Amino acid sequence: MDFYFGLAQIIGVHTLLGLSAYIVLLTGQVSLAQAGFFAIGAYAAGMLTVLAGWHIVPALGAGMVIGSATACAVGFPALRVKGLMLVIATLAFGEGIRLFFFNFDYQVAKGGVQLGPLGGEGFRQIRFFPENGWSTLEVMLFIWIFVVLVMLLLWWFDRSRYGAVLRAVGEDELAAQSVGINLTAVKVSAMTVGGAIAGLGGGLYAHYTTHIEHASFNILVATFAIAYPIVGGLASVLGTLFAVIFVQGVLIEGLRFLGDWRNLLFGALIVLAMNLRPRGILDAQAIVWFKRLFGGGKRNA
Amino acid sequence: MLDFLQAVSDGVLFGATYALIGIGFTLVFGVMHKINMSYAAASVGGAYCGLLILHVFAGAPPWAVFLLAFAAGGVIGWLVYLTCFHFIPLANPLATLMSTVGMLLLIDEIVVHTTAGMPQNYPALFDDVMLRFGDFSMRGDLMLVFGVSVLGMIALLLLLYRTGLGLATRAVSQQPVAAQLCGIQLARVNALTFVITGLLGGLAGAMIGASVGALSPLLTTPLTVKGLIVTVVGGLGSIPGAIVAGLLVGGFENVFQLYRGVTERDLYVMLLLFVFLVFRPGGLFAVKGAGR
Amino acid sequence: MLELRGVSRYFGGVRAVDGLDLEVKEGEILGLIGPNGSGKSTTVNLITGLIPLSSGEVRFCGKDLAELPVHKRLQGGIARTFQNIRLFGQLTVWQNLWVAQNSPEDHARRGFFSRWLGGQRGVREEISQLLEFSGLADKQNELASNLAFGEQRRLELARALAARPKLLLLDEPAAGMNVEEIADLDERIRKLRGHGVTVLLIEHHMELVMAITDRVAVLNFGQKIAEGTPAEVQIDPAVQKAYLGGAEE
Repeated sequence: MDFYFGLAQIIGVHTLLGLSAYIVLLTGQVSLAQAGFFAIGAYAAGMLTVLAGWHIVPALGAGMVIGSATACAVGFPALRVKGLMLVIATLAFGEGIRLFFFNFDYQVAKGGVQLGPLGGEGFRQIRFFPENGWSTLEVMLFIWIFVVLVMLLLWWFDRSRYGAVLRAVGEDELAAQSVGINLTAVKVSAMTVGGAIAGLGGGLYAHYTTHIEHASFNILVATFAIAYPIVGGLASVLGTLFAVIFVQGVLIEGLRFLGDWRNLLFGALIVLAMNLRPRGILDAQAIVWFKRLFGGGKRNA
Repeated sequence: MLDFLQAVSDGVLFGATYALIGIGFTLVFGVMHKINMSYAAASVGGAYCGLLILHVFAGAPPWAVFLLAFAAGGVIGWLVYLTCFHFIPLANPLATLMSTVGMLLLIDEIVVHTTAGMPQNYPALFDDVMLRFGDFSMRGDLMLVFGVSVLGMIALLLLLYRTGLGLATRAVSQQPVAAQLCGIQLARVNALTFVITGLLGGLAGAMIGASVGALSPLLTTPLTVKGLIVTVVGGLGSIPGAIVAGLLVGGFENVFQLYRGVTERDLYVMLLLFVFLVFRPGGLFAVKGAGR
Repeated sequence: MLELRGVSRYFGGVRAVDGLDLEVKEGEILGLIGPNGSGKSTTVNLITGLIPLSSGEVRFCGKDLAELPVHKRLQGGIARTFQNIRLFGQLTVWQNLWVAQNSPEDHARRGFFSRWLGGQRGVREEISQLLEFSGLADKQNELASNLAFGEQRRLELARALAARPKLLLLDEPAAGMNVEEIADLDERIRKLRGHGVTVLLIEHHMELVMAITDRVAVLNFGQKIAEGTPAEVQIDPAVQKAYLGGAEE
């Protein structure tokens, strides 16, 4: 049973990672920096619980704040680079953060043991959960409370004018400007929210794995972050969740049949998915279709 | 001072390989307005394929390995085109981008699996040759790398500016619809662009292997990032830009390494990118209409 | 209401708009016509701020627009439609109208929170009115990209109206329309005037222009070559010469 709880933990945290990229993608910005904000949240929350003795909830909150502040700071110069250049810039930024943590030492002696991040070694002994007697089930539920809250928040955004404005900007900036939408405010706000979600995910990640290092936040992770919403489809938060479950499920199941070669599956899966459904598995048309199927003659969406 | 000059010299010579990678990224962008994220991985993959000849002819000369890498790069390039660009409607930039990322992961994994993750020795030419000018020296193998890379660039420029295919490619990069109306087959030009950049990439991969003395799948990520940095610094879509930027990044990187060591070196290369993005987002040789 | 003084825009050696003086009076429908390439669309882009001025000034209700970014100009009472329809295809008809509600009145009436994160109920009435006006009420949940061409044009117009503009810039709204649709457009523009909206109409359909405008200005090679009532302009020899002998549709 513990195995499945562990899997659920991974799925939960990856969903947060994917959702952090999702909201930024809605505005048409492809950000490979989400893994960087994820890392910031992880190290910040970890350091607060381990070195400063904080409870996990405020530590997660602090991770969110720092993550979102960094994202906001990145959001402004990001406006100057368009389209594919932004991909490169955010990729480099994410790598820069990883390299920063690769060189980052901050150790404090606690009870005779040196604790804290140690450059390439990483940050070990993030033991808030075990030290406070949390079971695997409890950790999983804790993670998923946040996942559900974030999904509800984003779902609420999607139903509100903010969500429609985000998508309008993503679709046609010229037209959006021409109906009076402030592009800067919209794009930076999306980046900030994305940073907060990534920071939250990172904090949770640090605590359930208890050991983080720079390599945990590499380009592969940055890729996962945008892969989930793109492959799942940008029409709805459910697309991202679906993609996470699908990918993680396939990777885990693939372990049984293909052993070590299952990672091959991931790349091949992405290529196949993009060729078969370029707009993602759940695209706008699919959502409309689903709604008709289940909503019948309900009032307007 | 001498150390500085030495670092610059070595760096610039090696930077020619970065220039080739940058050219590959920038050419695909110029023609199709898309980024092929798998390009650096494909180059490394091509270089690995070059080693296959050693399994058949154990004593094969280095240039045979390089040649095979060159050819394999072209084949891989065509495969990437087929899986990422041929069938996906070009109006879906996210889908093609994601697809190339998928190929990047796929190629990386294939390499890791076939070599069990162990670094493979790569043949080098003239690695025992050293030109000395007092305390200043130039390594023979680096000079070869530089020379071969320059030959590759010249061949590419000749192709682009002196042949019919090159003309067609340039036409497509400027006005794809009009080019089609003139009878140019878009799919063929696009596919050939990938093959050509693939050939160049295979060559670059082989040269990197030759100068480092070994190939490892760990090369892929830093090469991708640096290649993209070179492309941006040079200006998306500009080949002269990629050449200059490649040499620049090579030189800077080595200088950073001299003064701050290997671990912090890459951090400073990133900083170089940010400086450019803030002050000159168009790159050194900004191309109109690029960066869309 | 809208004043252009000495407005010019150069693209290298090309004078897309050259020393244009134009005035749009409150409540009128001013037509802007001219052969292809005469600078009509560029003028609209200069007014809305999508292209910067090379020289001259644009004043709206007495205020110089020079320092205002695009979105602020379009929140302040100016709205436009596009020659090639630029709807938000992946959004529904309802959402297309919703995102365009950016006027100061909307900002004032509802707090920040309710305006951005509130549901649809608060704006149902206004948007329903817009839907009624453009005959799209039964398609409100349809994705904009799935609409027929005529419906898309009507949506584009409705979206421009969602921002409660005082001045509406219509960039070739009749392009590609059949006779029925043009008659429909005619009626709708008249209704707008009845609601107090000033209109600058750029068009090639001469019948529509002659029928509906109060005054017409004619551009050629970026310069104004004639101005007056539709009847006056129609017989103006300079205008006829510019069109090479016939302003016929």
